[in-house]
Amino acid sequence: MIAPLVLENVTKAFKDGEQYINILQDISFTAEKGKFTAVIGPSGSGKSTFLSIAGALLTPDHGEVFVNSQSIASYKDKQLANVRLTSIGYIFQAANLVPYLKVNEQLKLVAQMKGNWDREAKQWLGQLLESVGLKARAEYYPHQLSGGEKQRVAIARAFMNNPEIILADEPTANLDQARSDEIVALIAREVKEKEKAAVMVTHDESLLKYCDSVYRMEQGKLIKGK
Amino acid sequence: MFSLALKEIHFFKLKYSLIGFILFLMASLVFIVSGLAQGLSNDNIAALEDMAATRFYLQEDAENRLDQSGYIIDELEEEIPRDTGWQPLLTQMYRLDAASSETLLDVTLIPIDPEAFLYPSVIEGEDLNDSDMLEIVVDRTMKADGVNIGDTLYEADQDLTFTVVGFTENQTYRHSPIIYIAETAFYNLDLTPHQVANAIVIEEVNEELQTDIHQTLNDGTWVEKDAIIQAVPGHSSEQMSLMMMIAFLIIIAVFVLAAFFYILTIQKLNQFGVLKAIGAKNLFLVGTTLLQVFCLTVISLILATAFTIFVSNILPEGMPFEFDLSLIASYSIMILIVSLLGSLLSSIRIVKVDPQQAMGRTE
Repeated sequence: MIAPLVLENVTKAFKDGEQYINILQDISFTAEKGKFTAVIGPSGSGKSTFLSIAGALLTPDHGEVFVNSQSIASYKDKQLANVRLTSIGYIFQAANLVPYLKVNEQLKLVAQMKGNWDREAKQWLGQLLESVGLKARAEYYPHQLSGGEKQRVAIARAFMNNPEIILADEPTANLDQARSDEIVALIAREVKEKEKAAVMVTHDESLLKYCDSVYRMEQGKLIKGK
Repeated sequence: MFSLALKEIHFFKLKYSLIGFILFLMASLVFIVSGLAQGLSNDNIAALEDMAATRFYLQEDAENRLDQSGYIIDELEEEIPRDTGWQPLLTQMYRLDAASSETLLDVTLIPIDPEAFLYPSVIEGEDLNDSDMLEIVVDRTMKADGVNIGDTLYEADQDLTFTVVGFTENQTYRHSPIIYIAETAFYNLDLTPHQVANAIVIEEVNEELQTDIHQTLNDGTWVEKDAIIQAVPGHSSEQMSLMMMIAFLIIIAVFVLAAFFYILTIQKLNQFGVLKAIGAKNLFLVGTTLLQVFCLTVISLILATAFTIFVSNILPEGMPFEFDLSLIASYSIMILIVSLLGSLLSSIRIVKVDPQQAMGRTE
């Protein structure tokens, strides 16, 4: 079985003043189907850069990124946008919902952008809202929802186009401990149920119990285990 | 794309209706000023524009102004018969007293051969006859002064009483209505011992005739109608100042709109970043923004047109205002293009947004 997301010897450097600083050094990583992986590490260790490269938002300086065994390292902006639209679901730190769309319209938008808004997609939308427990909130605007509810909409949105990969970037940064547990448990459950390859970047070690494996990011290197 | 654009306008009603309102005011002002320009222009030169003459023979030092030129044409009448295609054009300023009006009415009197090409025909009442009766047809703008068919207008200096038999339209010259009287009747008054004219006009270009007339009168040049119109006192300056107002309004609109949409876009940059991160393409985001501008502008233009119709109805009747739908349509298209161009500036920002900015910043 081929893993949906594979990074091979990825290196990325940023210019800081006069010098180049290696944010990522020779990183290899595989996300398997149905597995929920956590990446932890201190600030500035390159966690977000790692997730951006895995999520087709950034291209690496060296190395290869395979999404569904397609190498995306040489893709143009437009092709990268397509990869993000169809193969990757994001859950951000803040829910980042569109303020003027109702909950169901948030999900409908990503289906429409992909161009497959049909009866089947409509049913799928209903199921997703049901599984994140927001069926009754379908006609609500984001400003009428609580922080936890917004994040759950974001989770449903990430699954809407049925991507193979789910990437979560500090999804609980703006939530209290009880809500954090609830949200991450929800992501874990959905990932298992829908057989996605999921990667979560977090600094909250109490959430690691929901994950199948843990990596630590330290000075540009990815080390297995806490 | 379309529904996203509309949903945002619908959700942020206040924000977008304020922008729409500014657009509406700006468009209304452009429409009203252009209507005024058109109305003033009509008032000044409509008769010349409608006149079935293409070339005018005027004295050279008249600087293309009809009132500065004058001929005695007794000899011309003898040498070259009128049926070769020429007509004399004589304009006389009069002040007439109407029973219906407290003030004297300024008019331009033109003696005319009712059978010839210069005569415009009436839209109401009866046409002039080639008789010595003091019958006149007048421009319908005189209705605003209470003049009706059958009324008499009195000229005090020569003690003349004219009877109105019909109304013409678009027969105004130098901001006053034209009244036409039969030539026979005019010369029957013995106001002048000679046949006189300000200019000789012809209906169609005719080199031979033009040369003959020039050789007979031997003082003047042939000029085109357009040159005569441009030389009507006040016409160019009126039109130029109004056109400059319109041009400035449109330029101001470009900057105001561009600034507004730019600020709106800057406010939404983060949101565009998120949408890009989840797979939205530049074309989609720019298209949505342009669609919003398009919708707002079209709605504002429709409202502004309605408002202009309303204004043209409540303006006092004597006010020179011309509601010209084709003119409004052309300004509308110009405003639409201008506002779309203005919003293109913000499109550059949208294209430049880095989707990565949606990723954690508070690490």
